[in-house]
Amino acid sequence: MRILAVDDDPIILELLTQFVAAIGEHELTTAESGAEALDILKTPGCAPFECFMLDIQMPQMDGVELLTRIRDIARYADTPVLMVTAMSDKRYIDAAFKAGATDYVTKPFEVNELRVRVGMVEKITQTRQLRTKKIFAAKTAAAVPQTLELHEPLSVYDVDNVIDFIAMENYVAQLSRNALFGSTAFGFSVRDVEGFHQALNAFEFSGLISDVAEVISDTLAGHQFLMSYGGDGTFVCVTESGWRPDTERLMDDVNLALSRMEMFNNDGQPLEPRVSVGSAVRMIWKSGSAVMDALGEAHSSAKAAAEKYERNRHDFWLTEQRA
Amino acid sequence: MDGGLDMMSGLEKIRGRFLDLLVTRQQSIAHHAVLAYESHTLDEVNGNLAAARDILHQIAGTAGSLGFDDLGNAARMCENEIVAHLNGPDNDLALCPDALLVQIDDFVEQCKGMLH
Repeated sequence: MRILAVDDDPIILELLTQFVAAIGEHELTTAESGAEALDILKTPGCAPFECFMLDIQMPQMDGVELLTRIRDIARYADTPVLMVTAMSDKRYIDAAFKAGATDYVTKPFEVNELRVRVGMVEKITQTRQLRTKKIFAAKTAAAVPQTLELHEPLSVYDVDNVIDFIAMENYVAQLSRNALFGSTAFGFSVRDVEGFHQALNAFEFSGLISDVAEVISDTLAGHQFLMSYGGDGTFVCVTESGWRPDTERLMDDVNLALSRMEMFNNDGQPLEPRVSVGSAVRMIWKSGSAVMDALGEAHSSAKAAAEKYERNRHDFWLTEQRA
Repeated sequence: MDGGLDMMSGLEKIRGRFLDLLVTRQQSIAHHAVLAYESHTLDEVNGNLAAARDILHQIAGTAGSLGFDDLGNAARMCENEIVAHLNGPDNDLALCPDALLVQIDDFVEQCKGMLH
């Protein structure tokens, strides 16, 4: 992988150079400031990087601002970014995840920790390369590619507080690492998402998911939260600061906002998605895998609520016809 | 095996560089701490404490990776104390608390002891 590491401390850059050389066949480029990093990225003919390692606390331009600037470059909209930070930087870590970080490495770090993180990035890169190959293959086979599996998490861009599903898992993992359990997970699931998935092509379906994400994000605005699309039409939200959401009311607010929003497919046919909400799962006193299980529980609970809604609706009409 | 030796030799060089830098870094920390203690304006006091904090942050970030765990932990504690002061109720007073100066002085002494 081609990796760009940015840190104002030359010792960190030397350590990264040493450690990265020890963990695999990677090509590391270093920069001592955000400005220098951006200059490198703008250099004509510069081969693309597949991973970034950014120090959070740097003078002039800090790592979060640099990350935002990198995400603005189309080529790097979803390139994995590892933030390099001290244990005490919780508020910076939150800001980094919101800005699009994939994970973080704590200083002082060891070669084994770095190996694990870089290994995760390699897997993400390989998965994305495979997906890109599938898209190109589908484009040659049919006019309208249908390459997006229903269960597949997808990236939602430019919606506040929405992060990649892998980043969400890493975010939740750091909540357990730092013993910060005052969080709640809950999910929203698009009703009859199978119907939308069958009727829409990949581009339209992706647009629908982005629009629903935007409505949910706007509805939750004002609260401290992060959310992610986990596939199957389901979004998982994680809140902090002890806020216990009134999920039924939130569902009504989201559906009201969706009903006001005009959505269409490529043929100009109106789309009217609605969501169901699952149970709020408190993460307090949970640790390790139990925290990750809470994320899965929020996801499956929302999905089950959407399926139950559709089943009840279907049964209602069957009863009416029989009567 | 060779990779392991390369790694050891590479880390030894970085350790040497770290210690070379520590000479000037501990002098800078002491310099900023004294200026913060003797200054009478808020900007000068907090500005010098922030400068000391940034250097401590760098030391804390790398010392542990190079086998200087105690030094790294001491740097982190000093950094946290400065952060607590700069974010605390007295952050609008042109004042560097005695206890903070003593703690920074202890850290500088620890650096000197290590360098000798």
